[in-house]
Amino acid sequence: MVRIAHPLAILLLATGLVAVPQETERDHAARMAKSRDVFKDHVRAIIAGRCLKCHGGEKVSSDFDLSTRKGLLAGGRKGVAVVPGDTGRSRLLKQLRHESDPFMPKKGAPLSDEKIARIAEWIALGAAYDKPLIDPKAAPNGKEVSDADRDFWSFRPLVRPTPPRAMAMADKGWVRTPIDRFIRARQQRKGIAPSRVADRRTLIRRAVFDLTGLPPSPDEVDQFVKDKDPDAYGKLIDRLLASPHFGERQARHWLDVARFAESHGFEQDYDRPHAYHYRDFVIKALNQDIPYDRFVQWQIAGDELAPDEPLAMMATGFLGAGVFPTQLTEKEFERARYDELDDMVSTLGTGMLGLTIGCARCHDHKFDPIPTSDYYRLLATFTTTIRSEIDVVLDPAADARAKIQYEREHATLVVARDRFEREQLPTKLERFLASRAKSKDPGWEILQVKSFVSTGGAGSERLRDSSLRITGKNARFDKYSIVVTTQSDSLTALRLEALPDAGLVRQGPGRASNGNFCLTDLKVTATPLIGGGDPVAVELVSAKASFEQKGLAVDRVIDDDKKSGWAIDPQFGKRHSAVFEFGKSVGFSGGTLLKITLDFQCNTRHNIGRLRISVTDAKRPVPINLGGPPRPITELMRLPAKRRTPKQTAMLLTWFRTENLELQELDRKVREHRVPKPRVARVMVCSEGYKPIKHHADGRGFPHFYKQTHHLRRGDSAQKGPVAKQEFLRVLTRAPEGVKHWRVPPQRGARTSHRRAALARWITDVEHGSGSLLARVIVNRLWQHHLGRGIVTTPNDFGAQGARPTHPELLDWLATELIRNGWRLKPIHKLIMTSAVYMQASDRDAPLAADVSDGLFCRQAPRRLEGEIIRDALLSVSGELEPTMFGKGTLNEASKRRSIYFMIKRSKLIPMMVTFDLPEPLVSQGRRSVTTVAPQALLLMNSPRVRGYAKSFATRIAATKDPVIAGYRFALARTPTDTERRRALAFLQQQAKSYREAGEADPRGLALVDFCQTLFGLSEFIYVD
Amino acid sequence: MSISRRELFKHAGSGFGMVALADLLRTQDLLLPPEGLAEASVADPLSPRPPHFPARAKSVIWIFINGGPSQVDTWDYKPELEKRDGTELKGFDKFTGFFANAVGPLMKSPFEFKQYGECGKWVSSLFPYLSQHVDKMAFIHSGFTESNNHSPALFMMNCGVPRMGYPCIGSWTTYGLGSPNRNLPAFVVMSDPKGRGLPKGHALNWGAGFLPSVFQGTWLRPKGEPIPNLRRPAHMTDAQQRRQLDLLVELNQQHLAAHPAEKDLAARVDSFELAYRMQTAAPEAFDIRSEPGDIKQLYGLDTPHCSHFAAQCMQARRLVERGVRFVQIYSGGMANQRSWDGHADIEGNHGGFALETDQPVAGLLADLHQRGMLDDTLVIWGGEFGRLPIAQKGKKPGRDHNPHAFTTWFAGGGAKGGVSYGETDEIGHRSVVDRVHVNDIHATILHLLGFDHEHLTYRHNGRDFRLTDVAGRVVKEIVV
Repeated sequence: MVRIAHPLAILLLATGLVAVPQETERDHAARMAKSRDVFKDHVRAIIAGRCLKCHGGEKVSSDFDLSTRKGLLAGGRKGVAVVPGDTGRSRLLKQLRHESDPFMPKKGAPLSDEKIARIAEWIALGAAYDKPLIDPKAAPNGKEVSDADRDFWSFRPLVRPTPPRAMAMADKGWVRTPIDRFIRARQQRKGIAPSRVADRRTLIRRAVFDLTGLPPSPDEVDQFVKDKDPDAYGKLIDRLLASPHFGERQARHWLDVARFAESHGFEQDYDRPHAYHYRDFVIKALNQDIPYDRFVQWQIAGDELAPDEPLAMMATGFLGAGVFPTQLTEKEFERARYDELDDMVSTLGTGMLGLTIGCARCHDHKFDPIPTSDYYRLLATFTTTIRSEIDVVLDPAADARAKIQYEREHATLVVARDRFEREQLPTKLERFLASRAKSKDPGWEILQVKSFVSTGGAGSERLRDSSLRITGKNARFDKYSIVVTTQSDSLTALRLEALPDAGLVRQGPGRASNGNFCLTDLKVTATPLIGGGDPVAVELVSAKASFEQKGLAVDRVIDDDKKSGWAIDPQFGKRHSAVFEFGKSVGFSGGTLLKITLDFQCNTRHNIGRLRISVTDAKRPVPINLGGPPRPITELMRLPAKRRTPKQTAMLLTWFRTENLELQELDRKVREHRVPKPRVARVMVCSEGYKPIKHHADGRGFPHFYKQTHHLRRGDSAQKGPVAKQEFLRVLTRAPEGVKHWRVPPQRGARTSHRRAALARWITDVEHGSGSLLARVIVNRLWQHHLGRGIVTTPNDFGAQGARPTHPELLDWLATELIRNGWRLKPIHKLIMTSAVYMQASDRDAPLAADVSDGLFCRQAPRRLEGEIIRDALLSVSGELEPTMFGKGTLNEASKRRSIYFMIKRSKLIPMMVTFDLPEPLVSQGRRSVTTVAPQALLLMNSPRVRGYAKSFATRIAATKDPVIAGYRFALARTPTDTERRRALAFLQQQAKSYREAGEADPRGLALVDFCQTLFGLSEFIYVD
Repeated sequence: MSISRRELFKHAGSGFGMVALADLLRTQDLLLPPEGLAEASVADPLSPRPPHFPARAKSVIWIFINGGPSQVDTWDYKPELEKRDGTELKGFDKFTGFFANAVGPLMKSPFEFKQYGECGKWVSSLFPYLSQHVDKMAFIHSGFTESNNHSPALFMMNCGVPRMGYPCIGSWTTYGLGSPNRNLPAFVVMSDPKGRGLPKGHALNWGAGFLPSVFQGTWLRPKGEPIPNLRRPAHMTDAQQRRQLDLLVELNQQHLAAHPAEKDLAARVDSFELAYRMQTAAPEAFDIRSEPGDIKQLYGLDTPHCSHFAAQCMQARRLVERGVRFVQIYSGGMANQRSWDGHADIEGNHGGFALETDQPVAGLLADLHQRGMLDDTLVIWGGEFGRLPIAQKGKKPGRDHNPHAFTTWFAGGGAKGGVSYGETDEIGHRSVVDRVHVNDIHATILHLLGFDHEHLTYRHNGRDFRLTDVAGRVVKEIVV
């Protein structure tokens, strides 16, 4: 056997690049030892000093990594650079000697001849390393986090600032809230005056759009404009904050932050059909004004912190809203998992903390005090977190109430049945027996089924009336084998009953999708019960049935055709019986065992659902009838009542129970009165220990998660360091014991690790964790939505690279105000919206070009509505808006619901939304870009859908006294000026004339639609002043 | 009356254009402000602007060989592979491709190779037409990528990282250059019109990622109207729409006059005029019926097996002629037999798709050349990865994915003609000499377009992103 000494040799052989020099093993070992010494004494220092920074240290230029021998021998993009033992073919030496391009080292003086000689010697001996130059296993702590780092403005603990005093008398008139004092102070320093208060019409349009995302109705506007109440505006804000549309409007902002979508992305972009609950959670949480700290906690660990609260379960959808590949190769499993975890950490970072934590994945954050080690320790929070789909109980309290109600009702039903049985059944039995004495019944003996076998895999359940309910699998073509026994020794016929059952379609008696069955063959064999022996086939000579479907008569069961049979359509839900007479009487003294096989070969899944077997020894021909108690009962029946023992009467009553229809009905009511099922919804959650959502690569063994996550070098899952243990960002942690401060160990046997719960506590902890930053980031978002520009203009980056706050004290004041209000957001909305700064007009007498960018807030900035809101406004103005809230979204653009209920499928974003700058839902978005491009104009000019809205709008206003005025009032919340009105009327006239000349049927109608469409195209329509 | 008003707005429009340009230059100078364009509420983000240095190429047409073309069956001639046909590739990592359980022996190309052109390039019999143009082409034989799976590799090739959510090269180009023709989209994507679907990852392959959505590729619908909303409502004549537009523009002008500080309101006025012009300009650009017969013949428009691709190549030329910056045409749709993804029957698969594209792409090169457009139009031929030199077992053998080696070629736009750069090993399994990473290819394309790839950046969520991530080297060896 040829042994190849070095694994590398195999590699080189395989690629066919290098011939292995013949060398004995011992020689080889000696040379390598020598080479190692040269490395330790000389080469290590040279590489570490002159090469490593670019090749394996801070970066890997040309993919040539000198930090390990493996990297050295693998070469870089230029190919192999070092061939051990072959200096001639080691290109590296030529580059060091400046004989081959590019010369190395790239910077600084060339290496001395002596140093190059050492390297050549080392290569000649085998280029051995004693250990890697960078230990891939070393626990990286990265750069230290100092108190100076913690003193960066956004990382400092919150201290409540005192609002500056307003100086001039004029300002006292302007100032309405403490907010205004902060704003005014900076304006004063810059010598700039604020703007006047906007008129009421402007105010209501602005406020209604800001809070609900819908235009105000003309009546709403009139009422507010005329309202004499000094607090009319405050009351308006309160009313809007209480509107269900508030959540629909505000949720969209948060969904941008949460990169929310309802599909996986990548190859197939499969739907996540149960992801919409997260969207509903956000709307409901904002409408209910769930405190923001809890809002955040639930999104991270709702399943651990409030498992009985359905909204908390739905909230966890946040973690899993990112993209994930649906097709993976083995090589990609681990990398994809780290990408997925990175998405969670990065979104949490930018979205909740305004920190670009994801930048620390490959190297220490270049600008913020976030070492890579902090990144992997934080990431370890989510190591075992996966996406699952589970049933969430929607309203446990209502379910509990329903259960109490059920128990009350159930008791009533039971009492009614028992009373009937006790008080009426005995009389009814005697009456029945009296009437029965006159009839001639052959006496069917109902047989207990001893065994049931189905070739199709069905099961069975024996019922009190000795019938058999067939359960479980309903095979396409089944065959039942049934064994029964009887003491009788002279059987003349067998009866098969097909019985109705509540569990079957139309109560059966068949299992077919319409309740039918089709029996194609019936065979009977008989065996002595005692002594056994070969089964004897029983000859069946005739068959008759209580009812036969046209063309499917019961005699087909005993013909030779395997496919023909007996069926009962349309007599569903009734009892049917078939009687098969034997050629000669059958039976053995000591009892008889009958084996009956029933075949169903005619039609798919046409198997009987509930059946009962009886036999008789009555004389042939045996009549068909539907009665017939079993033998012991028939004997008892002959006894007069007076001669019966109480036990015998009890036996009769037990049998009669099953016969009496009134009792049956009462009994059915008890039976069918079931415990109400809790209302559940299938929800996509992110948790631990549930079954992961199925994945294409499951068949390849995709593990969904790894039990541990590691510190990675340069973010590469192939370069693992030690296992990462959960900790939080050091710069935002003010508890010396670290994660333990927030960790509550899970109970034994807990499904989840409760690591996320610890993170949720840390992130909202104002004193020791990152709560101060969390509060700053959210109040800045609210400010941005109301003023068009944040106090920090980079809402997703509060780090060193982000912008500094224009009003740091105001930001901190708002953040403390939020916390003082129990983290409720609605009071902050109201505070901002009732401030003088918010209520300013957008146009100034003397425009200031640079005011907005200077962040002085000396006027309101006109803002273009988002795509969703433009569409909602079109629907609302045209009177077509369908206000149904919540539930599954749609991709159908013809939908009339608000745009937030569009399903967000990553490969099929709604075109109109994209045209108006909907960002791709891939990473957290702190603010949308606003572009003005021709496709938007084309859409408003030519889209049949927009034209349709214009038509509805025209219909709405056509009947009014003055359609032009009505149009302006609906679309712009104001009446037109005289000039505008005259211009519009002239247009209508000209346009109608032109349509009339073209022979159009409704020229004036068309002209009005054109006018309505024009209103949709107005800048004033899609901007809010 | 209405004509004079139109004239007036035209002037207003150009005046506005200056404002927007200044605005963009400012933002570019800053490498765009934090959190992107929203800050400036940029008025006309597509107004043309110069690159970092004089460009070789003004436009790019990328023939995307979707699914991953096999290098050893197309342009990378490997006589050694023929010699070792049928032998096992020792030490082969069975997880290199997609199907670890169908690893076969080395398999020679079923196609015959011959030398062509002054440069004597070996080309397989798949390309009887394209082989006539090898002296215009610069081959990169040593490409390699980071994923052995379609959509990550497609994202890598289009967006520079093997993950979703990053702007693609067409978006970066239009972000950097704007567009000289505002009547047409700046970045156009055509997909398979034969019902074989979109490339894996769908529209994300031409998405703008975190760049403003205005920079995303405009996907032409393969059936019906290529761009939505280009046709005015059926009942309207041009005059009637014009009258409606005049009213609209007049009212918007009044609104603008009341808000003189709002630049985007001015842009809105302009955008309606632009939209009005697009209604005629865009259909005209897509309409190839007016092309002369010999041109149609050159592309193979009347040849049934390639007429669909010929039409797309002709449209690409017409678009570039009118100033469109970036055109991508995908050959084939989804995976397996619906694209160049020849897992089974490599001969039939590549044979079929080569037949569909060979003459049209050759026609495009010849046509661009004869019009003098090839000098500043860069044509790229290439897919998301290569294929393995070993067989994928099956009834008719195919080839599995190969991230370690692929061939791509550039023609025109400042690329050298008749050169080959980089080498694979002697069986075409791995690129070994002068290896070219996808980031390098992107750096080179941006270089030809006049950009320093390290300085074409966009600040997003606190980081300056670029197409080439943290790497990229311009392959100067293939640049004129």
